[in-house]
Amino acid sequence: MPESRILVLDQDEERAREIAAILHFLDFSPCVYSELAAVEADNLEPRDLLAVVLGKQGLGGSHDVSRWLTRDPQHAPLLLMPEYGDDTLGLDPADVWHLAYPVQQLQLTEILRRISIRHLNAAGEAQGPLLGPSGDSAAVRRVRHMIRQVAGYDTSVLITGESGTGKEVVARAIHAQSSRRALPFVAVNCGAIPAELLESELFGHEKGAFTGAISTRQGRFELAEGGTLFLDEIGDMSLPMQVKLLRVLQERSFERVGSNQTRHCDVRIVAATHRDLEERIGEGKFREDLYYRLNVFPIETPALRERPADLPLLLEDFSVALERRGRGRVRLADEAVSTLQAYSWPGNVRELSNLIERLAVLHPNEPITLDMLPERYREASPAPLGEAAAQAQGLPAEGLDLRAHIQAIECDLIAQALDATDGVVAHAAELLKLRRTTLVEKLRKYRMTRPPGQSTGAAGGASAVAS
Amino acid sequence: MARIRTILVDDHADFRRLAQVLLSELDSIELIALGENGEDAIRLCEQHRPELLLCDIAMPRMGGIEATRLIKAQEQPPVVALVSIYGDEEHRQHARSAGAEHFINKVDFLPAVADLAQELTETPHA
Repeated sequence: MPESRILVLDQDEERAREIAAILHFLDFSPCVYSELAAVEADNLEPRDLLAVVLGKQGLGGSHDVSRWLTRDPQHAPLLLMPEYGDDTLGLDPADVWHLAYPVQQLQLTEILRRISIRHLNAAGEAQGPLLGPSGDSAAVRRVRHMIRQVAGYDTSVLITGESGTGKEVVARAIHAQSSRRALPFVAVNCGAIPAELLESELFGHEKGAFTGAISTRQGRFELAEGGTLFLDEIGDMSLPMQVKLLRVLQERSFERVGSNQTRHCDVRIVAATHRDLEERIGEGKFREDLYYRLNVFPIETPALRERPADLPLLLEDFSVALERRGRGRVRLADEAVSTLQAYSWPGNVRELSNLIERLAVLHPNEPITLDMLPERYREASPAPLGEAAAQAQGLPAEGLDLRAHIQAIECDLIAQALDATDGVVAHAAELLKLRRTTLVEKLRKYRMTRPPGQSTGAAGGASAVAS
Repeated sequence: MARIRTILVDDHADFRRLAQVLLSELDSIELIALGENGEDAIRLCEQHRPELLLCDIAMPRMGGIEATRLIKAQEQPPVVALVSIYGDEEHRQHARSAGAEHFINKVDFLPAVADLAQELTETPHA
């Protein structure tokens, strides 16, 4: 995704050149055109751009531009020259900025800085499926089930899990399946925004409310009105801010920074953290009352190492997404896949997606073999389940009971497979490359009773969830 | 004294030229390759295994932050210093969360790189 191309669309050539020069100086890559037709002729798309500076256009031209931009729901923001006044050309006001001319360096720099940050925030989003995280493992099916359960209600949700396990994907899926789906989904990374700016980021500010508040600005609560607000890294929020947030959750109202006017809000809150909030409560860093407000419906995202069986499906998803972005197809050899399944993935799904993207750049359109994987992914021994226990063992001098020995190995591997699939026999059979009926036979043979509450098939038990 | 094998990536040709001249004043830095965009950064780092990558954040198609994320997934990744005209906390946070160890404001380029070079030669880097 591009981070620096800015379209300057203006029939006033001198002004356009001047703005382009400033943008170039500010380290961006300006593209100057006088009209939309030329832009389209050069195949420049709204999604290729960081921002669009719009100046003088012919009759109806500005509305053509607005239509062209909004073809892409995640289009670049629009920076309008003064002749447009307060007009937003039918776009969401959050995506429109009004520039002064002659150019006010400070204003322009600040606007572009905010656009850059917003863009960086957005670039981190995975275009995940609207059903939630992908995979067939019991753990991830459970997450999808919980998403379905809670989406229809307005209850607050707290998502916990290691970094990179797709907490935002879960939040987006909740939104997409809720009655609020047609309204905005607004994400805020509470950990990335400095404490002193978080309040104005969430509640907005009035012009002049503090140094640098050059205009009135809506906060994220207002932008999310009617929809869902995703508070990521809520464990990093400062205590004073937690108090303010608690009040909004209790009273459904807030004031912009520098204003006395109380505003009501109708927003569904989804929060996420990789931190252990109970521990932080114990340390006095997180408020217990806020925790209980948020934790009405907790969802835990599993670590990638807990669900190695999902790896092939995730690889396929990433590969398809890369292809759609024009970065080529990534195919991994079987031995590479099983090696990756044995890796501990401290960075979870995000780490996997980074690896695949790198491989796509370094080895475009060629199959990825084991030797192409970076060393740390190869360090875990990639023994496929069937060979794990078949260690080279010398025959003891006194001989051994071959049948008992083989049965012990088989029993152990079956137990491991059941463990890895949360007791779902159908999935364990898949892992062992057996027919389900064959595995059921063996279970009977070894008299391996199922732990209570789990089922042998698709019909739901407590934890094996029909999807 | 072992020099720090360095790669510089920036989409603006005039900055690359300027940076080359500036960096030639530093004895401790050995500039081994130049790149124009994020994909260059990834390929060049893989090919040359430098100790240091100086990379612009704002570049078309793939910027420095995305490139850093992917380069840090490489074996023996270089120390990454992201270069930006912005010095604010949010950009620094994004740089940090992508894995960059250092953040350099373009305005301060030469002194910042000189300090960084000093730090790298003094402390053994992984």
